[in-house]
Amino acid sequence: MSLLAADIRAFFAAARKELRQQRRYPTLFLGLLFWPVLLPASWVLMGHAYSGNDPQALAAFAERAGSTNVAGFVFVGYAMYMWLSSLLWGSGTALRQEQVRGSLEAVFVTPASRLVPLFGPGVATLIPMAATFVVMGVALWVLFGVVPPLGAVLQAAVVVILGVPALYAIGTLFAATVLRFGEVAPIVQLIRGMFVLACGITFPVAMLPGWAQVWAWLMPPTYIVEDLRRVLLQGAGLAEVAPHVAIVLTIAMLTALLAIAVFRFLETSARRSGMLSRF
Amino acid sequence: MTVAAVETKDLVKVFERGRRTIWQRIRREPDKRDRFRAVDGIDLVVEPGEIFGLLGPNGAGKTTTMKMLATLLIPTSGTIRVLGIDPLTRPREVRARLGAMLSGERSLYWKLTGRENLEYFAALYHVPPGETKARIANVLAAVKLADRADDYVERYSTGMRQRLALARALLPNPPLVVLDEPTVGLDPQASRDLRDRVRELKAQGRTVLLTTHYMEEADQLCDRVAIIDHGRIVALDTPAALKRTIRAEEVVHLEIALDGDERPVIDRLARSATVARSERSNGTLAVTAHCASARDFVPAAFDAARSTGATIRHVEVVPVTLEDVFLAVTGRALRE
Ligand SMILES: Nc1ncnc2c1ncn2[C@@H]1O[C@H](COP(=O)(O)OP(=O)(O)OP(=O)(O)O)[C@@H](O)[C@H]1O
Ligand SMILES: [Mg+2]
Repeated sequence: MSLLAADIRAFFAAARKELRQQRRYPTLFLGLLFWPVLLPASWVLMGHAYSGNDPQALAAFAERAGSTNVAGFVFVGYAMYMWLSSLLWGSGTALRQEQVRGSLEAVFVTPASRLVPLFGPGVATLIPMAATFVVMGVALWVLFGVVPPLGAVLQAAVVVILGVPALYAIGTLFAATVLRFGEVAPIVQLIRGMFVLACGITFPVAMLPGWAQVWAWLMPPTYIVEDLRRVLLQGAGLAEVAPHVAIVLTIAMLTALLAIAVFRFLETSARRSGMLSRF
Repeated sequence: MTVAAVETKDLVKVFERGRRTIWQRIRREPDKRDRFRAVDGIDLVVEPGEIFGLLGPNGAGKTTTMKMLATLLIPTSGTIRVLGIDPLTRPREVRARLGAMLSGERSLYWKLTGRENLEYFAALYHVPPGETKARIANVLAAVKLADRADDYVERYSTGMRQRLALARALLPNPPLVVLDEPTVGLDPQASRDLRDRVRELKAQGRTVLLTTHYMEEADQLCDRVAIIDHGRIVALDTPAALKRTIRAEEVVHLEIALDGDERPVIDRLARSATVARSERSNGTLAVTAHCASARDFVPAAFDAARSTGATIRHVEVVPVTLEDVFLAVTGRALRE
């Protein structure tokens, strides 16, 4: 068995272990059902309150957002938010817990690649995330009567899947810094806030000042959320969003490489300073 | 020529002590943290097939040494060979051949069952999928945990967790096992049990390197012991040979009540034995003396006390232990 095959097996074992641990705290899944519906719904109602469903107001929204479908717009934005948040927290928290519990050293004395504990736990966030998306879709239909055509939903699923590496890489980049800083929660909060502001989560990117828009288009979530809206709400096809997908995948790769480099560097420096066992 | 299981030369690990505040960093003040040598020039050769013990008090540098062998720490200087491999340049090869039990029970996933823990680590140790089941059954049997394998680790006793951690270390079927304080926190029964497991490892032909601060453990379990203090090896030999260096057959602990200066009593006692340690607290003087024969020394001690106006309150005669060796080479008690 080659080393790579063995490491891939170790990677899936890490994901499995994480899912098993998650399963032992079923109440965690309650939050999965609750927030993804409540938060965006309140924004949608707020939007309706502002516009009074006045055609002129809706036209103004459509001009900036590309569609009159306020509920669809907000729900897609929030889906991205939930996804970002779970990956930003997920990988870092998993690594952090290993560090605090003391199992990280036990993992580090095995011959498995260091990328296994770095990337493995993130996989466990994917299944709950898929569940969240389904819940949000159902809520959108039940509460606001919005039902995108099946074809659009399938295409959106493709956009999501192609977006996974990018979000994964961002989450992993943060996880890597756990080795140095221990507690990364405050940084994650800050970054998440930035993403919310910059990536068109609850309002169109067009509303940002020009200089901020430049930054927005450097962040993968901006593209993914925009593409999802185009596919789901404006009837765009995959071919039309393909250039964006290419950009997102490129940024993903660069981010992942950066994450690996940061992790490598911090691991070596932790082995030098004795930081591995401190937290 | 056989390769040593572990060989270190002039191994040094320097840590920084104290802290540097963000304010000091921002103002770029000079770094005032003192650097100290947690491991200060250790030369070791562990032969294949032996149980080798590192015995020393808290903070002696035992764990630090083990972590350097297990590739968790990079030495500041010096060389290491583990089974002939340099952990600095070929860490993955060392990890694949080394069974390490370092932080024991804390290093397990408590929300998983024992078996689930082992399944995960078997994958990390690159055990081939076809062998995983048998390998896990093997290591569980080796630590006598097979019947509780499907219980959550959070429901284990400390001793069971410690044994599970040992089972995990055996997953790669390693020729060398390093154990950091394997019996810490265990009751006497569980400790004895774990020591039996360790002896079995030796019987299977594995080399065991362990640390402990229990002298009985080092004495009973180890073929050879290195006594380590302040990051240095202060004595290294078989337990029997170490005890012979005391050049005494027996150790006598005395508790003496006295008012004035203790020096006259100690001087008198020193005429008929080696006073290894004396400690005064208020009106009581505790003395540890090494002597050839307690039968000769104890009456002499009573004479000495009487002639200096002191009273012996308590006498205890014990055989020489590694504790006394430690006392003799460092002047301090192991348990302080
Ligand atoms: N990660 C670290 N960073 C800084 N100092 C450390 C670190 N690990 C250990 N030390 C220091 O190094 C010295 C040796 O510690 P070590 O853990 O090796 O001792 P030990 O012999 O294992 O003791 P014990 O019996 O208490 O486990 C101690 O003074 C400790 O404070
Ligand atoms: Mg220790």
